[in-house]
Amino acid sequence: MRNRGRTAFIISYLAPAVILYGVFVILPVLQAVGFSLFKWSGLSSKKTYVGFDNFKQLFHDNVFWEALLHNAWIFVFGGTAILVIAIAVAHGMQGESKLTKTLRGVYLFPNIMSLVVVAILWEFVYDPHIGLVTSLVKLFGGSAKPNPLAPIQDTSILGNPTKALPAVIITFVWFAVGFYIMLFSAGIRQIPQEVAEASKLDGAEGIFRFRKITLPLLWSVGRISVIYIVINTLNVFALVYLMTQGGPDRKTEVMLTYLYEQAFVNSDYGAATALAIANFVIVMAVSGIVMGLTRKDPSGAHH
Amino acid sequence: MKTHVSAIYAAIGALGLLLAGCSGGSGEPTAANAGNGKDLEVVSFQGGFGIEFFQKAAKEYEAKHAGVHITVTGGPRVWEQLRPRFANGTPPSLTWPGWGMDYWALIYDKQVFPLDDALKTPAADGKTVWKDTFDASLLKLGEYQGKQYELPYHYNIMGWWYNPDTFAKHGWKVPKTFKELVDLCPKIKAAGMAPITYQGMYPDYTIKGFLFPWAISVGGIKAADDAQSLVPGAWKSDAFLQAAKMVKQLRDSGFFEDGASGLSHTQSQTDFLAGKAAFIPCGTWLESEMRKTMPPGAKMAFMLPPVVDGGKGDPSAIMIGIEPWIIPTGGSNHDLAIDFYKYMTSLDKAKQFITECGTLTAIKGSDQVTLPPLLVEPARLFRESKTVYSIQFDTWYSTLGTESKNAMAALLNGSNTPEQFVDRLEAAAEKVRQDKSKPVHKMTH
Repeated sequence: MRNRGRTAFIISYLAPAVILYGVFVILPVLQAVGFSLFKWSGLSSKKTYVGFDNFKQLFHDNVFWEALLHNAWIFVFGGTAILVIAIAVAHGMQGESKLTKTLRGVYLFPNIMSLVVVAILWEFVYDPHIGLVTSLVKLFGGSAKPNPLAPIQDTSILGNPTKALPAVIITFVWFAVGFYIMLFSAGIRQIPQEVAEASKLDGAEGIFRFRKITLPLLWSVGRISVIYIVINTLNVFALVYLMTQGGPDRKTEVMLTYLYEQAFVNSDYGAATALAIANFVIVMAVSGIVMGLTRKDPSGAHH
Repeated sequence: MKTHVSAIYAAIGALGLLLAGCSGGSGEPTAANAGNGKDLEVVSFQGGFGIEFFQKAAKEYEAKHAGVHITVTGGPRVWEQLRPRFANGTPPSLTWPGWGMDYWALIYDKQVFPLDDALKTPAADGKTVWKDTFDASLLKLGEYQGKQYELPYHYNIMGWWYNPDTFAKHGWKVPKTFKELVDLCPKIKAAGMAPITYQGMYPDYTIKGFLFPWAISVGGIKAADDAQSLVPGAWKSDAFLQAAKMVKQLRDSGFFEDGASGLSHTQSQTDFLAGKAAFIPCGTWLESEMRKTMPPGAKMAFMLPPVVDGGKGDPSAIMIGIEPWIIPTGGSNHDLAIDFYKYMTSLDKAKQFITECGTLTAIKGSDQVTLPPLLVEPARLFRESKTVYSIQFDTWYSTLGTESKNAMAALLNGSNTPEQFVDRLEAAAEKVRQDKSKPVHKMTH
């Protein structure tokens, strides 16, 4: 009797959250799975069941693989840059002086800006005529000796097939890195003073102390960061859409810009939801792999 | 025409995918939007021309028809709000959903009300048959399988722009032919200007401003009609190959503004207005789009793209584009919607639209007003042209449209040769031909 009352009590408290989660998270996901089995314009109630055709087409769609590859480049290069910069800056910004507090705010600043503002700002940075990059190149004599191989000196960055993706990655890193600096700064502050002092007494200094003490103790923060980076790089959309729309000639196409094209340009919601599900599975899988690979904590601490 | 900043709505639109998923719904009109026969909801794209004109027209119409109540709303990316409404079967009564709407998908899904019967009834003046009040070459762009689904209101003319003061100052002659252009370009460069700039981030401008005019000039209008009708081999015909080679020639000669491939429409248009480049391809919306950022004293004038020397095509050929209005099948009060649109397309309202919004309309005789100065020349060229055409393949076959833009970007930045360029287009056209689910469109002149 008492047990049943307790169960009812628990259920009554859990129910609102479970129902909300079910209706607003689980149900739409299941519905999306359902849509992916249909040919549907998203403009009427007319749906035709096509089984797994949307997935088969996706699998044979070169654009999808090219987009996925670009997501992978953003993850590998952008992610590495973010981790290296974030850890280095966080390490160099220890202590609670006024300067470090100010700097932390400065580094976080891009992160609190709207992505629209970030994209427009960087369009100016990359502007072929008045942009910062062009100006710097000119300043350091880049235009002094015209390349005899190129009939025209192309200062275009976002319109250049080899420069556009690196340019987008740099913007992505600039935008995202402040958040990870925060994370690692907090992680470093969590390292017990005793450990730091004991290692100093034992003669661990500089890069050696950083490698043997600080880095291993930041493991769990690093792990979370990598998962975040996986999610944010595989789901990147607004920045790319605003800066290049996936161009030139798909050289910056990513999964979600292609999803947008399938849904809103090609009116193929079935294909778009199939892509959304593939994206979901890929994010889950990569996150799972990262979790598995980083399970073993080198500091020996068990969480 | 692209309101770039408001592209944040794109992100919201992607979320809409999920929202549309939540509300699946049926396509049948519901009691809620059946209305009482006197209510009308009009939703309009809100771009450079605003929606005030339509709101004012609604007030006038209400004053003339007791009991009628019309609401006019709009937005710069209004098609994203309209998509789920169409999916739910609750669209507005009358709408101009804007350039981002997939009109043809709506038509295939029978979401657009055919207007053939309505067009046979008298126009707002009570005398003329409504159909006869429209310019026939513009009206036919809204046809599909012999039925009229889209109605034009205003239209744009696509061409090139130059600064007449600059040309007068240097004693340059506006080039009529490609050879004259190529001869002039070095002189322009010598004067410290780039000969031509373009909207590199949006290659549809160069498809409409370079590729099609030159393909038509080389091979005649049939070359373009065949390509748009997906006739096998048409996209890699000599006409398109020659046109692509002309683009490459300008590129390799260094006649395009440095870095233009990375310029947005506003950046390149700003460069043009600032006198950094002598020519730019753009439609007649250029002035209304740039009005806010135009440097004082900036001058411009319209011209047809230079034609190919000795080409088969009609040198008076002119490219136009309509901005269509539709009456959704699932909307309420079709008769009232038709009657209100008749009012909007009356000669008086159409003339007013030209003077207030600064763009030409599809209503015959509406250009018999004092036109905004920049429209005089395009309107004359349109009137006198023997070959009026429009680019429709990109909206009929969106995958081919996207591939054409991608290939154009590759041609312009030198990563595709003209041969690769036409092969890519033909391959994309072949893919559409193979896709039996795609309705076939034919274009003739």
